[in-house]
Amino acid sequence: MVNGYVAASLSEALEIRAAHDVVPYAGGTDLMVENRPNVTYLFLNKVPELKRITVDDEFIRIGAGVTFTEALASPDVPPLMKEAVSRIAAPAIRNAGTFGGNLGNGSAKADSVLIEFVADAKLRLVSKGCERVVDVDKFYLGRKKLDLRSDELIAEILLPKQGLEQYSYEKVGGRNALAISRVSFAGVFGLEDGRITNVAAAFGAVADTVLRYKDLEATLLGKTVEEAKALKADYLRAYAERMTLTRGRVSAEYRKNVCMNLLDAFLTKFGIG
Amino acid sequence: MADIRFTLNGRAVAYAGSAGDRLLDVLRRDYRCTSVKCGCKEGECGACSVLIDGVLMNSCCVAMGAVEGSSVVTMEGFRETERFAALSKAFGDLSAVQCGFCIPGMVLAAEALLSKNAHPTEDEIREGLSGNLCRCTGYNAIVNAVNNAAKEGNGLW
Amino acid sequence: MDKISQSVVKKDHATKISGRSVYVADYPSEGVLCGKLLHAKVARARVVRVEVPELPEGYFYVDAKDVPGDNNVNIVLDDTPVYCRDTVEYIGEPIAMLCGPDEAEVERLRDACRVVYEELEPVLDLRAATETFFDYHYGHGDVDGAFAEADAIYDEEFETGYQEQAYLETQGMMAEPEESGRMFVHGSSQCAYYIHGAVARALGCGPSGVHILQDVTGGGFGGKEAFPSILGCQVAVAARKCGRPVRCVFDRREDMEYTSKRHPSLCRYKVAVKDGRVTAMDIDVVFNAGAYSTLSAVVLQRGIIAAPGVYDVPNLRVHGCARKTNTSPCGAYRGFGAPQTFFAVEMMMDHIARDLGVDSLAFKQAHLVKQGDSTSTCGRYHFPVPLPAMIEEVETACSYREKRAAYAKPQTGRYRRGIGMSLYFHGAGFTGSGERDLIKAVAKLRKYRDGTVEVLASNGDIGQGVRTTFPKIVAHELNLPLDKVFYDHPDTARVPDSGPTVASRSLMIVGELLRRAAIHLREVWVDGEEQEVEERYKEPDFMIPFDITKFDGDAYPTYAWAVNAIELEIDTLTGTSKVLGAYGSFDVGTPVDYNIVLGQMEGGFLQGIGYASIEKMDCDDKGRIRNNSFSDYLIPTTKDVPNLRCMLHVEKYPDGPYGAKGAGELPLVGAPAAYLEAVEQALGGSSLHHAPFTAEDTLAVIAKEGV
Repeated sequence: MVNGYVAASLSEALEIRAAHDVVPYAGGTDLMVENRPNVTYLFLNKVPELKRITVDDEFIRIGAGVTFTEALASPDVPPLMKEAVSRIAAPAIRNAGTFGGNLGNGSAKADSVLIEFVADAKLRLVSKGCERVVDVDKFYLGRKKLDLRSDELIAEILLPKQGLEQYSYEKVGGRNALAISRVSFAGVFGLEDGRITNVAAAFGAVADTVLRYKDLEATLLGKTVEEAKALKADYLRAYAERMTLTRGRVSAEYRKNVCMNLLDAFLTKFGIG
Repeated sequence: MADIRFTLNGRAVAYAGSAGDRLLDVLRRDYRCTSVKCGCKEGECGACSVLIDGVLMNSCCVAMGAVEGSSVVTMEGFRETERFAALSKAFGDLSAVQCGFCIPGMVLAAEALLSKNAHPTEDEIREGLSGNLCRCTGYNAIVNAVNNAAKEGNGLW
Repeated sequence: MDKISQSVVKKDHATKISGRSVYVADYPSEGVLCGKLLHAKVARARVVRVEVPELPEGYFYVDAKDVPGDNNVNIVLDDTPVYCRDTVEYIGEPIAMLCGPDEAEVERLRDACRVVYEELEPVLDLRAATETFFDYHYGHGDVDGAFAEADAIYDEEFETGYQEQAYLETQGMMAEPEESGRMFVHGSSQCAYYIHGAVARALGCGPSGVHILQDVTGGGFGGKEAFPSILGCQVAVAARKCGRPVRCVFDRREDMEYTSKRHPSLCRYKVAVKDGRVTAMDIDVVFNAGAYSTLSAVVLQRGIIAAPGVYDVPNLRVHGCARKTNTSPCGAYRGFGAPQTFFAVEMMMDHIARDLGVDSLAFKQAHLVKQGDSTSTCGRYHFPVPLPAMIEEVETACSYREKRAAYAKPQTGRYRRGIGMSLYFHGAGFTGSGERDLIKAVAKLRKYRDGTVEVLASNGDIGQGVRTTFPKIVAHELNLPLDKVFYDHPDTARVPDSGPTVASRSLMIVGELLRRAAIHLREVWVDGEEQEVEERYKEPDFMIPFDITKFDGDAYPTYAWAVNAIELEIDTLTGTSKVLGAYGSFDVGTPVDYNIVLGQMEGGFLQGIGYASIEKMDCDDKGRIRNNSFSDYLIPTTKDVPNLRCMLHVEKYPDGPYGAKGAGELPLVGAPAAYLEAVEQALGGSSLHHAPFTAEDTLAVIAKEGV
């Protein structure tokens, strides 16, 4: 094949990845728009090891080559992820686009990546004879910068099995389909014995990477809902001060405003009114 | 070097060009499948929709290497089927075709939808066609035509 | 329903749906050179020189020096060049065309061209623009007196943005030198004879030296009225130089950024009110023409004639001008200047009603024109004005008044609702005496020995269905089955000039010529003989002659009318809106095919909703349009609206075929006002002044005014 390698297995893919200067091709929906000249692709769309969704004691493991359509049909993928993925573009794009590709493209607008951030997902990265597991927020080093070596491939996304039941998800695009996120928001809430155990909030499409402030979240952890209510105004103010948004086709002011409204609504939804 | 082998509208073919070439360009240029329209080359309009292994894809966003071993169906193939005849009749009865440029892709999107869901609701039809822009019709006639095809073509899907 | 209105399967249905139709990009590439334009990258500059890379054999560089005839394209004036003169006036202006057999190589060579500019200060801001292409005044009555006596004076400014036609098939033309020396130009277009005149002039060869064919065209909406004349000249000049066929098909970004779109506008309305009635309007309309005048004269004329809306305004003063800026030239787009002024006047009337504390619809109804009244230009509404009945049709469909009252009450919660209504017309056919003095349409029927009949006319099917409706009319009069009458895409070598495919005129004007021709043919019909009949346009007797220098008389023979209601819900957290229902009653006279006309109404209505809401396009501080792709310039998808509820109200026009009048443009014109009125209500009674009104705009109002 001219300018391309088709891998039939993960081991074959890793051999090629190690031996050649290739661009991993999963779904192609971003790569073909970029249309980089003179590249050699490593086609991963038919690697069976990357196409599986499995569940173990701790994680739902989504193969990097699983398409969004496939995830929507899986009983194992949690509702929060399905909701986000169902809002991506339109059927043809969801039929092609993959979880690995969404990560690998490095965009803060990637709708599945937002969920991975808010869920504290991990990524399993593999290379020939070697593998490592990294937290998704460590994988993103900056705009379009990833902690991925030139011999590595993303193999799996490891979503925690528990704790994603209570959530808010919002995608704000320019229209109801074929929409690139202008702001996306995911919040996950947990309460045990009257005390807040989780109040994760992630913001997509507003900065170079997905934004999440774990130190701010920590100020509400362990609090009762009543205590959190009293802290809410300060809490929102802290977010407002911290969030610096990049300019896009829509203004930073608008997006900031939306982020704060959605964060407020998320807290209110779980009793912190 | 080995050619890229795939089936196009049921016929085995081998492509000797670059694996990075766009399926859209190759279909139009090398195989003269000109029903596949180029509306944007960015996956944003659906005019170049084809079925790959039965699944709707924007052929502008598919590199040739990705179709190795796959089955590609364009309108040139689909128009020979009974399902096409049912869709064509439904579209014709409502004059759902205006300029026609989006239509081959739109019909393949309808086929992809109905093959997964033979009796869709209006919302499901709108979801199924949501990646296919039409500037002429306001979508009413197209959505209603797909609905009618699903009803009248009972058993075909 | 009249027999003629009963729907048939469109004549081009089977070829289009099966993908067999050949659009200009679909012709085989063998022997055809690919042309790519070298576009200016700065908004205003003197072009010092172009450093062209060494061209491989078989590749060509074509510019103004290669134009054998006149380097000016006649549209209304002659200011648009085929290829740029010594200056470029907007980003995207064509400097040259690179031609050759391999597309990628042509692109490489084009991108390797280095243009040396001496940059000049561009004018990008419409408010700061001083050069005026066209400037018109008209009016009647004692405006100053009415203002002096007014109880209240309202003074508001309204602004509208660009709108891109966004036809799914981009612009594309192809030129093929024929052995006889004649140049054959064909492609995606609306007006074969406009291109014919332009190409003949550019090639300097006289009308018999060229012929133009309209290929199957993937949507026009006005965007392929004038632009193909320019592109047609460019490919023809290239083909003449190369001695080979040359085809140039725009890519989407090129098309969105550099081709003509709807004029952005600023409309200032000063209105005098006395005893609860509007007594005078003093209206100032400014259109952003862009860098060349193209169609701005006629777009502006239609816009200012519509400026007082459907209302009887006893004292009226209107000033309109089209100003030059160093941006892409604006041109025709469905509605042709009227959407801008109808948006302004409808919002203005709504705002006045609110200030007076009266119901907006009742206030508008109290001012409606009726049959026999004077038009804005002292012509006459010769035929019944069916708006009151149409308002009730929309009321029945959506319980407008009940919802309007309910949503006016204070609302709580994340989502807030509103409903708005607009009332409007569209003048049918060309403005003024253009039909009589300029176009002088001729249409023919040719009967073959086997009894089949061919329609010979120059109106292109761009999706609106004239390949079906023209034969339907002829078959009806000749009492023939529809498959015995056919109408191919026009080729100027074989069809007379029945005028351009614009101004909602094709069916009303040319359809009527064909109806008369068919009656004539029926009278002279001889079996087994080849026969031809011809009809020429005659202005209806009732017309009050229009004087364009004074804007006086009947600007249009008749009007199509519409009432729209749009109901929506806004999300106060994100500013996004959801259209819950869109309802329209449209009077375009007798539909010559019910489904075809309904499809026109639905499609136009959705374009209007897009114009009102999500279709935002503007220039940056360099004069560059950034919204140049389908991901940046958003048009509605299937999921952005529910099924639109369009109803046809039939007020027959005696001089149109079976009572038909202009249809295509009408449904777009009034949607923005209905949409914005609904947003105003959902926001608790804000006064809004611009379209499109985006989610960002909505949230800005909420941030400023609260909800």
